[in-house]
Amino acid sequence: MKLLFQSIGQRRGLLLLGLSMTFIMLLGLFWDDDSDDYAELSRLMLQLKTLDARFDRDMLRIASFLMVQYDPLVKTSNELNQIRTRFNATADRDHEQLSEQNRLFWQTMKTKLDLLEKIKFQAALVRNGIHYLPTLAQTFNQQEPAHYNQIVEFINQLYSYQLSSADSHFNDILGSLEQIKQWSLSSTQSRDLVEQLLFHIDSNLHGLAKLDSLKKSYLEVPSQTYFSALHEQLEKQRVTETAIKRQLIVLLSLSVCALIIGLWLLIRSLHNAHLESKRAWNRLHDAVDNLSEAFALFDADHRPVLYNRRFEAFYPWLKEYPIDSLTLDELQAAVAERTEYYSLEGSLFTDPRPQGQYVEQIDNNTWYLASNKPTSEGGMVCVRSDISASKRAEADSRKLSRVLKQSPASVVITDTQGVIEYVNPWFERVSGYSAAEAIGQNSSFLKSGNLSRQDYETMWTRLKAGREWRGMFHNRHKDGSTYWESASISPLRDEHGKITSFIAVKEDITAQKLAEDQLRMNAAVFDTTAEGIMVTDAENRIKTVNPAFTRITGYGLDDVLGKSPQLLKSGRHEPAFYEQLWNSVRQQGHWSGEIWNKRKDGTLFPEWLSISAIKGANGDIEEYVAVFTDITQHKENEEQIRYQANYDALTGLPNRTLLSDRLKQAIASAKREQWMLGILFLDLDHFKVVNDTFGHAVGDELLQLVAARIKACLRESDTIARFGGDEFVILLQDIAETDSVAQVATYIIDQITRGFSLNGREISIGASIGITIYPDDAANADTLLQNADMAMYQAKERGRSTYQFFTLSMQQKTLDRRQLELELRHAIKNGELEIYYQPVVNPSLNQTISVEALLRWNHPKRGQVSPATFIPIAEDSGQIGEIGRWVLSNACRQLKVWQDAGFSNLKLAVNLSSRQRELGLEAADLQQVIDQAGIKPESLTLEITESLLIRDTEEALVWLSSLKALGVKLSVDDFGTGYSSLSYLKRFPVDALKIDRSFVSDLPEDLEDATLVKTIVAMAQNLNLSLVAEGVETQQQAEFLVNNSCRNLQGFYYARPMPAAEVGTWLSKPPSNVTSGPTKSLFTDSE
Amino acid sequence: MLLAVAFKKSLFLLTLFISLLPLATASETKSEPIKPLVADLTIDPKLVALGDQLFHDPRLSKDNSVSCASCHQLSQGGTDDKPRSSGVDGAMGEIKTPTVFNCSYNLAQFWDGRAVTLEEQAAGPIHNPVEMNSSWSEVRAKLSRDPSMVAAFNELFDDGISSDNIATAIATFERSLVTINSRFDRWLQGENSLTEQELQGYRLFQNYGCISCHQGANVGGNMYAYMGAMGDYFESRNSKLTRADLGRFNVTGQEEDRHYFKVPSLRLAAINPPYFHDGSATTLEEAVRIMGLYQLGREIPEAHIQDIIAFLRTLIGEHSKLTP
Repeated sequence: MKLLFQSIGQRRGLLLLGLSMTFIMLLGLFWDDDSDDYAELSRLMLQLKTLDARFDRDMLRIASFLMVQYDPLVKTSNELNQIRTRFNATADRDHEQLSEQNRLFWQTMKTKLDLLEKIKFQAALVRNGIHYLPTLAQTFNQQEPAHYNQIVEFINQLYSYQLSSADSHFNDILGSLEQIKQWSLSSTQSRDLVEQLLFHIDSNLHGLAKLDSLKKSYLEVPSQTYFSALHEQLEKQRVTETAIKRQLIVLLSLSVCALIIGLWLLIRSLHNAHLESKRAWNRLHDAVDNLSEAFALFDADHRPVLYNRRFEAFYPWLKEYPIDSLTLDELQAAVAERTEYYSLEGSLFTDPRPQGQYVEQIDNNTWYLASNKPTSEGGMVCVRSDISASKRAEADSRKLSRVLKQSPASVVITDTQGVIEYVNPWFERVSGYSAAEAIGQNSSFLKSGNLSRQDYETMWTRLKAGREWRGMFHNRHKDGSTYWESASISPLRDEHGKITSFIAVKEDITAQKLAEDQLRMNAAVFDTTAEGIMVTDAENRIKTVNPAFTRITGYGLDDVLGKSPQLLKSGRHEPAFYEQLWNSVRQQGHWSGEIWNKRKDGTLFPEWLSISAIKGANGDIEEYVAVFTDITQHKENEEQIRYQANYDALTGLPNRTLLSDRLKQAIASAKREQWMLGILFLDLDHFKVVNDTFGHAVGDELLQLVAARIKACLRESDTIARFGGDEFVILLQDIAETDSVAQVATYIIDQITRGFSLNGREISIGASIGITIYPDDAANADTLLQNADMAMYQAKERGRSTYQFFTLSMQQKTLDRRQLELELRHAIKNGELEIYYQPVVNPSLNQTISVEALLRWNHPKRGQVSPATFIPIAEDSGQIGEIGRWVLSNACRQLKVWQDAGFSNLKLAVNLSSRQRELGLEAADLQQVIDQAGIKPESLTLEITESLLIRDTEEALVWLSSLKALGVKLSVDDFGTGYSSLSYLKRFPVDALKIDRSFVSDLPEDLEDATLVKTIVAMAQNLNLSLVAEGVETQQQAEFLVNNSCRNLQGFYYARPMPAAEVGTWLSKPPSNVTSGPTKSLFTDSE
Repeated sequence: MLLAVAFKKSLFLLTLFISLLPLATASETKSEPIKPLVADLTIDPKLVALGDQLFHDPRLSKDNSVSCASCHQLSQGGTDDKPRSSGVDGAMGEIKTPTVFNCSYNLAQFWDGRAVTLEEQAAGPIHNPVEMNSSWSEVRAKLSRDPSMVAAFNELFDDGISSDNIATAIATFERSLVTINSRFDRWLQGENSLTEQELQGYRLFQNYGCISCHQGANVGGNMYAYMGAMGDYFESRNSKLTRADLGRFNVTGQEEDRHYFKVPSLRLAAINPPYFHDGSATTLEEAVRIMGLYQLGREIPEAHIQDIIAFLRTLIGEHSKLTP
């Protein structure tokens, strides 16, 4: 109702306003336009009047010859032309009534100007004539003086006429002309002159007449009349038009007033009618407003008739619009801004004017069922009801269903018994079973069997108790492969709370598990590798380091996290080094090489470093991984190897290898420079004693001191090398004479024999030196050394702590030795070797205990060769192996012969050389010998020297033990001469000792020896070792020994070594001293 | 081209400046029937330049062979030396080409004064079949194909290339063609720039009455006169009467306008033979003599003719385009 009323009121108002506007505009048009035009025309009229007056004035000036040049006139006519153009332009616009007057006026003006043009010319013509006549008169004065006065008279008449224009003057002129024509003139010239005069006067008169008539015509032109007419017409027109306009205004004003009054009456009556309908309307409106649906009604012109409040509530943004005046189209456009339309079937559509029923979704996710139905009068009724709730429920359910279908997790729903009721597509993907295959099966059909029965029972217990279960399944895919799933199973209850089914949501975590394993493994590698690992980010800030890093550098992760690896910089490398390093990393992705870094404690260390750039998916470097190993040890080893190869570890002196090099170089330069070299081969005297007495540690220390002392004796250019053991070689360069070499040797010997103080002990040793001279003694290094060695032996033989130059005789000796060695080879074959046996007796028991096998060489040319000579040769050349075996087997066979002959308790002692072990004599060989001989192993005693026990202790022990295991006995020969210590007696499986002959020979007079022997006896008794005394030559000796409980004696006193045949005899008939005691004096053994 | 225009423009301004110097210093102009020529300083130099270009543009003719300057040769005094000029395809004109110099001082254009303004005049030769034999539409079309022309017009006019604008440009250029600073003008302004003979010539020019028609700044051009005021020129001419001989009759159709012509300017007469509308007088002496005979009804002695000619020569002023 209100709307309707308003719209009527508005329409009326608009009508009124429109009418008023129209009138005002009309009036304005009349007023403004015309008044401007009239003003312009009036102004132009004024100018025209001025110009017209100017033309008139100028005409008069021309006609009276006052104007000598016409430029101003041209200017005036140009101005007139301009005014005419403007005047016509203005006048022609609206004033047809003016055109006739206008045309007439301009016609007049044109006539006037044309006349003026003619006047201009005519005036010029006349003026020329007037001007010429006096000149002509002057000519007459010269040619016809008689007529001159008459001519002047005539000209005056002419001028008078021109000035007065009186007819009387004209008659006078005509009379004068007749007179002139009557003149009788004699000369042709004069006649021509008169003719000329008459012509000009005639022309002048005519011209004057014409000018006069033109002037008259000009003045007669009624320009003023036409001007006035035009002006009058204009005025009249203006007055008329003004009057009409006034009448119009009055008329219009009256009409407007009438209209307004009519309108007001109309509005009043309408207002009353509407008041009534308004109440009815309000009721309807109220009802509509209270609908739960939105409602809007539009009339046939689609103007709004009614909106209810809901409508605004449904479309909140309409508040920004003047909703009460929104037309249907505007409304629909406004609604469409934030609304999407769906058909009832649910398809989206766009239609600026949707009709019928459809669904609207506005952007706050509210849904309306919309209905736009035409009304009978051609309008439109729009109804909207909110269906958001049902829409949302529908959407939710659809969403849920989609969630299940599209979920990237397996979803399985079972009944309370575990029978599968539903599986989603993801389940199908993961398990390989289709829904059809799975549904109806018990969920346990997926079991891989890797989980225990108990696990499943726990699960079911929990579930049946209505609680949720989470855990992992190890299931089997349809194709047989297994996979891991993380599952969450929960019971589903109906509205009464009863469990109806179980729902399992499972995620395939196989890949995750694999990745975890991989990660764990990587982490373990990272943590346990011996190589330091450092990871930095793209800006080269440390992200992590591994324990090895900390171990190597001393920096923990906390120390370095977020810092630059530059903190490790050693400062040993140039910036260019790092630049090259990073260039390589950035361009090739990696670098590896040796680099010096600094530890936390500031120490520098070399490392072998590999840096790799790790690029991300986009190809940019994301991380740098540096892996390094501390190569300090490696580097030290390298240097050590180099050092060890050339230097002696103990003394730091060049070793044999380096010496050999130096010697060769020295020889080369000596050869070149023609100088001499001296080679000193030094061997310490009694060094073994020191070693055995004070231990190797002291021995080593002594060697170092010795080395230092020798070094102090030498020049810088000389070389001292440790050749091995206690042997040193000194190389003297560029020696002038051999005497100086001798001086050096003497000096060195003096220095060494000075004695050393070690650990509070005074130790005295000596040194023997052999000297060779290059090039005198030999030309090459090896020979020089050999010769020096030989000379050194010679020095030793000469009594130690002395030096010996190499001589030719020494060479000779060497050659002899070689010869002997050669001959020895043939000796065995040729049967030149023979075994002698020396009995060992027990005087107390009056018994021969055993025999000692002793080797003899019956050289065909040299006679008997001393074992002291050839045994060392055999040992050196290795022949001892063969010889020793030969001795053993022959001696054992011999023993067997004797035992079989009735001396069944006789035993055999065979000397064993340590070289035999080296040459391959093993327990098996010995066993073979014993077996072949057919003797009991107990009856064989192997005699070894103390030196064998001392050297190669461990191996010797093993060897001797293996022999001992056969059942043979071991005896230590020459006991007391060496550097014996009691310790080895304990360690070695020794059965007996043989007291060296040197202790026996001075018995019993030498008290020291006697004490010693007594001590040895006591010791042997303590250690439960049996004893044999060697070299017993006298009865006193025998008695002393026997009295001091050394019961087994060997020596010339009882028997010399004898060939086997003699021994047999000897055994059968032993001499009386064996049986009756040691009374007989004997000779010493040949040794 | 632009440069040339600029150069000409500057030269023009320079000439103007120089010519104004005596003006500025002159005490007072003598009161004589002849007035000094004055250049119009208010005209737009850009428009003058465009007009200059168009004035020399043969595209204004049908076959692009003839420009305004073909007949109005500026360096020759603004006309040619033929009794009748030839147009496109060698067509012969029917009348002697009048000079274009100082034409703005004329009361109307053409010998018969049929064009009241210079703008009106410009259209004449373009449409004349024996001159350019073209039309506005043709000329507009041709010029519109030239981007530089289009640009030049667009710069000066709101409506670009149009007939009115072409005419305006040419007319403006023509208004700039004022031959100022002649010796006679300088004399008028108080300089002692004339010889005794020339002064004598001027006196004779006045005494014989030449001055009656040939007066004003342009020494003519501001009135009409009958050819043969004091004698029948055409009968004596001894040649057939042509349409051109009818003069203003061709414009008004009135019997009284027969042989009625615009009085030509004598400013450049000394260098612009042949003379009269029919170009019949080939020398200035002859022209002066014939004028004396038919317009003044007098025989002017040879000595006086020479003096008058001497005077006429002092009327020639200066302009950058004119190099006499």
